[in-house]
Amino acid sequence: MTGDLGANAGRAPVVSAPLVSARGLVKSYGSGRAARRVLDEVDLDVAPGELLAVVGRSGSGKSTLLHLLGGLDRADAGSITVNGVRIESLSQAGLTELRRHQVGFVFQSFHLLPELSGFENVILPGRLAGDGTRAAARARSLIESLELGEAAARLPDTLSGGEQQRLAIARALVNDPALVLADEPTGNLDAESAAIVLGLLRRIAAGPRAVVLVTHDVEATALADRVIELRDGRPA
Amino acid sequence: MTSLLRISLARLRRRRARALLAAGGIAAAAAMLGAATTVAYSLGTGFDRAADRAGLPDAIAQFDEAPVDDVRPRVLALPNVREVSFRLEDGGVEVFSEGNYTRHAKVQGVREGRRGYAIVAGRDVRARGEVVLERGLEREWGVRLGDTVGLHEFRSDATLRVVGVAVTPDSVAFPLANGPRLYAHYEDVRDFMGERPGAVNIALVWVQNPALLDVTLAQARVASFGIAELRFVTREGIRSLIGQAAGIVIALLVAFSLVAVGAAVVMLAASAAADVQRRLASIGVLRTLGATPRAVAAGYALEAALVALPAGALGLAAGALAVGTPTERLLEALNELGPGIAIAWPLLGCLVGLVAIVAVTAAWPAWRAASRPPVETLAGADVVHVPGRARLGRGTLVSPTLRLGVRLALSRPARTAATIAVLAAAASVVLLILALAALLQRLESDPETVGKRYRLAVTAPAGAAAEIGRLPGVAGAAARYEVAAADSFALGESFTVVGFDGDHTRFEAPPLASGRRLDGEAEVEVGLGLAQALNLSPGATLAVQLPSGREVRYRVSGVVRALENEGRIAYVGAMRLRRAEPFLTPRIAVLLERGATKDSVAAELRAAGFFAEPVGGVTVQNGGFLDVLAALLRSLAGVIGLVCLYVLVQTLALTAQERRRAVAVLQTIGAARSQVAAVLAGSAFLVAAFGALAGIVLERLVVGPAASGLAASYVSLPLLAGARDAAIVTLGLAVLGLLAAAWVARTAVRRPIVAGLRED
Ligand SMILES: Nc1ncnc2c1ncn2[C@@H]1O[C@H](COP(=O)(O)OP(=O)(O)O)[C@@H](O)[C@H]1O
Ligand SMILES: [Mg+2]
Repeated sequence: MTGDLGANAGRAPVVSAPLVSARGLVKSYGSGRAARRVLDEVDLDVAPGELLAVVGRSGSGKSTLLHLLGGLDRADAGSITVNGVRIESLSQAGLTELRRHQVGFVFQSFHLLPELSGFENVILPGRLAGDGTRAAARARSLIESLELGEAAARLPDTLSGGEQQRLAIARALVNDPALVLADEPTGNLDAESAAIVLGLLRRIAAGPRAVVLVTHDVEATALADRVIELRDGRPA
Repeated sequence: MTSLLRISLARLRRRRARALLAAGGIAAAAAMLGAATTVAYSLGTGFDRAADRAGLPDAIAQFDEAPVDDVRPRVLALPNVREVSFRLEDGGVEVFSEGNYTRHAKVQGVREGRRGYAIVAGRDVRARGEVVLERGLEREWGVRLGDTVGLHEFRSDATLRVVGVAVTPDSVAFPLANGPRLYAHYEDVRDFMGERPGAVNIALVWVQNPALLDVTLAQARVASFGIAELRFVTREGIRSLIGQAAGIVIALLVAFSLVAVGAAVVMLAASAAADVQRRLASIGVLRTLGATPRAVAAGYALEAALVALPAGALGLAAGALAVGTPTERLLEALNELGPGIAIAWPLLGCLVGLVAIVAVTAAWPAWRAASRPPVETLAGADVVHVPGRARLGRGTLVSPTLRLGVRLALSRPARTAATIAVLAAAASVVLLILALAALLQRLESDPETVGKRYRLAVTAPAGAAAEIGRLPGVAGAAARYEVAAADSFALGESFTVVGFDGDHTRFEAPPLASGRRLDGEAEVEVGLGLAQALNLSPGATLAVQLPSGREVRYRVSGVVRALENEGRIAYVGAMRLRRAEPFLTPRIAVLLERGATKDSVAAELRAAGFFAEPVGGVTVQNGGFLDVLAALLRSLAGVIGLVCLYVLVQTLALTAQERRRAVAVLQTIGAARSQVAAVLAGSAFLVAAFGALAGIVLERLVVGPAASGLAASYVSLPLLAGARDAAIVTLGLAVLGLLAAAWVARTAVRRPIVAGLRED
């Protein structure tokens, strides 16, 4: 079952260089006297196969960090390399490519599209990337290995939180990204579902693929290879 | 009230973007309304305004030249006559000025007394050597005040100085009418014609009581002993004559206005309902805080009115301006006057109505929402309704992004339905305009549309018909006599009498509405227009007053749907007509054989010594007139197209706004800008496709039949859009949908993705 989670899973690391490398990241919100540095010269490396947990108080900049790493937002200063690609110099089209092929996102509130069935949600990134057939095969095997066969046929609103989050993880994996970014994925789940989801993320972080997990969950930090805490805009 | 106002203003300020969007919608609806009102009001009142300004007489009598001292006492002796003035008219005068030339001018010598025309530039004729031109001539030739015009006829010549420009609606304007009119000093015209002093041939008559005009005219006939060729035209007759040229179009434009108003109301109601839907939560909060439903509704009404007032004013003005120039040109062609500043009143009425409609449409759903228990309102807020079994667009043929867009639209069924309704109304009007344009073209060029089967006509004695009938390519030929007549009992009701030698249905056979074809010289087939005017039905008697003064009576055998002369036409046998009116010259109607062309037969006729003229459709002689109409219709269609674009943009912008999280998620999982646009295009295509479909059905079943009924009750006009028009409208809506999607997507993807993802 483990082997179905991704083609990369179980493969030996081929590179010793970090998968993600961030240097001197700065991000501020507001301007003038109201300006606030949310990230202040953050340096960060994530190795292939690593499960990195990021903790910190609410408002400490954890989500902001994930957004920058995934190319959803641009840093004010600093550089980020993901799988060998310098993302601060990418165009909008380049960032779209990055999000398509290199990064998968998992959110606290799942963010499945309510109009689409579970299966359609899972396969959508593959369709957007233009390889529907391969994505369909992959989506099917992911759905099978995550035991989502029944949920895949239904609309998200009719599913439990745990089922929705597992669908969201399958969606994040369908294009076989090198980096999975999970922002408090267990925040809206009961203990049992949370344990399942954490177990999944642990299994995903293998081979060349790394997972960065933002969490409050003590159990999550116990599973992680490494834990960093953000405080005052820097890793403490 | 002041606190209500303050809350409304604050709400507007906070939601400036939405207020602007709503304002845009109102402005678009107002533009439609303004355009429709301007056209309908200007054309609807143009005749009466011009007639009043000109002091158009109740009746105009024409007769062979007679001494004014003989005619005046007889006219003034008639009961009911209030005032009379006289003119001496010379027809077929050659007029030239700066390289322009016409052979058909009518020059009228005006005497003291009321004029019956309105001076619209310069001044009236005061002294000899001066001339006032009709406006059509002045425009067409570009003549200025102070220029001179030359007159020539036989051995007479004159040069007159232009001192003014006049309008009178007793006929259409030059060049639509082929002869322009010039008004000069009576003595100049008398000299030019070589008439005796005091000779006149036109009397303008104003009466005390227009309702009794028929009686007055009948008595005038009795008292007309010694006056030859007496003919009357009445103000009502003129009105219907002018109507011939533009009646169909004016009625259609009125129909357009009605549809436009309907569409505007639907559009406003839809956007108001959508707005309330978006704000259900805040309504719930207000109710929880103790606001009454009435206060909530009043707040919404006030807020909506605050937006509607400036937006509506702007839109109305823009719509009125857009159609102002073509409308003005159409009025000029009809010798009518535009309303000028008076148009402000109906537009102001529209503004009041519009603001009221907007306020009511905003208040009504708010009131309904506020009347529900607050808990329900709060709970119902922001729920995205997903149609349970909506499995539209399953399969791999349709792109997943388009399919997603379709589902986004379906998750807002009420708004989607409202949008479809507006697009359908707009599409049906555009289809109507296209159908009308096609009809105008056919009316002008295809005699079949007016029931004429012969393609050529020859002016020749009746005896030539047999010879022409034997020529190769000719299937038949018959003499056709035509004469203008009036009803003996209602002299104001004029119509055309057509008499054929033999069976007229071979040559000219408008469809029967009731009764049967005529059988013998005692019977007549009347057009539906005439039947309606005189209340005739099969079995009734038609008493025809001919120009010779003789009266002929016929029994009505049937009523036909003739388009010519607005259906004011009567078909009879030629024999009795010729006995009563011996000096009629016929035209020979020439029916072509199958396979023969107009040109080949015309050549045969020429070889035999006959000059053949092609037979056209209705009596709109001038292509320029149709051009003016086309320009007017085009500007209306343009306004409608813009409204459709706006409606689509508004709907998609609302969707993108409401579903900005979905847009952000799409971008997060790798959607490019074009793919976000494709999702929106999916929504747009759904409403465009159903809008076009519903529009086509609406036009075919409701709008088309209604408009053709309105346009001319005396005939059945084929105002149904064809497949080509339907395809054009469908394609046009799809293109507009694509434009709107691209536009909205552009702004939607500019928003930061993370802002869309953050929970609110
Ligand atoms: N778009 C934004 N505009 C202004 N401030 C923002 C924006 N996004 C985040 N912030 C602020 O940045 C800080 C860090 O936010 P976030 O990264 O979401 O924290 P965390 O995920 O650790 O709770 C918070 O104080 C938040 O209010
Ligand atoms: Mg966060």
